[in-house]
Amino acid sequence: MNKDTQMRAAINHKLIETGERECLKEALRAKCGCKDQLQAHWEEVIKEKGLEHVTVDDLEAEVTPKGRALVPDGVKKELLRRIRTFLTQHASL
Amino acid sequence: MKMEDMSLSGLDNSKLEAIAQELYADLVEDSCLGFCFEVHRAVKCGYFFLDDTDPDSMKDFEIVDQPGLDIFGQVFNQWKSKECVCPNCSRSIAASRFAPHLEKCLGMGRNSSRIANRRIANSNNMNKSESDQEDNDDINDNDWSYGSEKKAKKRKSDKLWYLPFQNPNSPRRSKSLKHKNGELSNSDPFKYNNSTGISYETLGPEELRSLLTTQCGVISEHTKKMCTRSLRCPQHTDEQRRTVRIYFLGPSAVLPEVESSLDNDSFDMTDSQALISRLQWDGSSDLSPSDSGSSKTSENQGWGLGTNSSESRKTKKKKSHLSLVGTASGLGSNKKKKPKPPAPPTPSIYDDIN
Repeated sequence: MNKDTQMRAAINHKLIETGERECLKEALRAKCGCKDQLQAHWEEVIKEKGLEHVTVDDLEAEVTPKGRALVPDGVKKELLRRIRTFLTQHASL
Repeated sequence: MKMEDMSLSGLDNSKLEAIAQELYADLVEDSCLGFCFEVHRAVKCGYFFLDDTDPDSMKDFEIVDQPGLDIFGQVFNQWKSKECVCPNCSRSIAASRFAPHLEKCLGMGRNSSRIANRRIANSNNMNKSESDQEDNDDINDNDWSYGSEKKAKKRKSDKLWYLPFQNPNSPRRSKSLKHKNGELSNSDPFKYNNSTGISYETLGPEELRSLLTTQCGVISEHTKKMCTRSLRCPQHTDEQRRTVRIYFLGPSAVLPEVESSLDNDSFDMTDSQALISRLQWDGSSDLSPSDSGSSKTSENQGWGLGTNSSESRKTKKKKSHLSLVGTASGLGSNKKKKPKPPAPPTPSIYDDIN
């Protein structure tokens, strides 16, 4: 496990260093049109709950699974491909 | 980071895939979290619902699509028919004319004070002018400049006063130029313009003569008054001006500009041969020289400026004497603005020639 975590940490680090992570994030955001849907959904939720009672935890708990589900397949595949490419590129490192 | 530990090549594909999936999941989670933070901040800062409007206010600002109204629901010429009551004179005035009426009615504002001042000045001048008529004649030869200054000033104020339907303070001056007949334009109901020209019956012969040398003088058919514009006023032709002068001053009197050529012709005997050859416009040569007063000034104008005008006009076609008249009058009118500077030498020239 240690090795794995270390390895993951290393890979992450590499991703960030090269700026690849940012690129991937941007790609995800751009291609994912789910933000508007999420926002509309949120407006209803907040109206029900009231503005005062909204917390980050609640939001996160709700948004994450929804967000994951809403990512279109094509976008998901594209991202995975890019990650794999990145990994193979840096395999020798 | 130890490089030895990072030997991804040694990993099999499934593990690579697993790692890729994990990375992907991380990315998605990050984005979602970012979104959560944005929403939460918007909610807490209070701008989350800014884009929404309640249905009541939506109805208020709905686009209006009825005939006769603009999209805001306002009527187009709502204020045309509205009338206001003037607090000063208690008259009912149309709304769009209310502001100018108030300015004149109350006597405040730039225009009103200017006009009032002019009227006062004019009434003073008018009172003085009658008594000064004879004096001017007597001192003509000696104190020419003094007399001419007074005359010029008075004439100028008269001109301003009697401008046909023209209020020099208002921006609508240019409109009156459109009509080019012998009649006056614009029926303007304003009270300042009740005398649009000079009524010639009230003028003595001296005044008439002096007026005719500097002003157009054409009598309007409608109001029977003389035009007080310059000698080159575009509303009247030179023919009209000549007719008026002949009518008033006898067949011997003609336009001041033409007199210059006349006088030159009469001076042939003396030493004006050169001048005549230069100023050799014709047509009016059969007319004898007119009265001394007007001929002096005009002749001098022709004399002093004859060279300029003739040289400039030599190359042009000789249409008629009127073209020279035009120039001379134009030049003459330029001179008019100063208190007759060419006037002083005139008597001397006359003396020399005679």
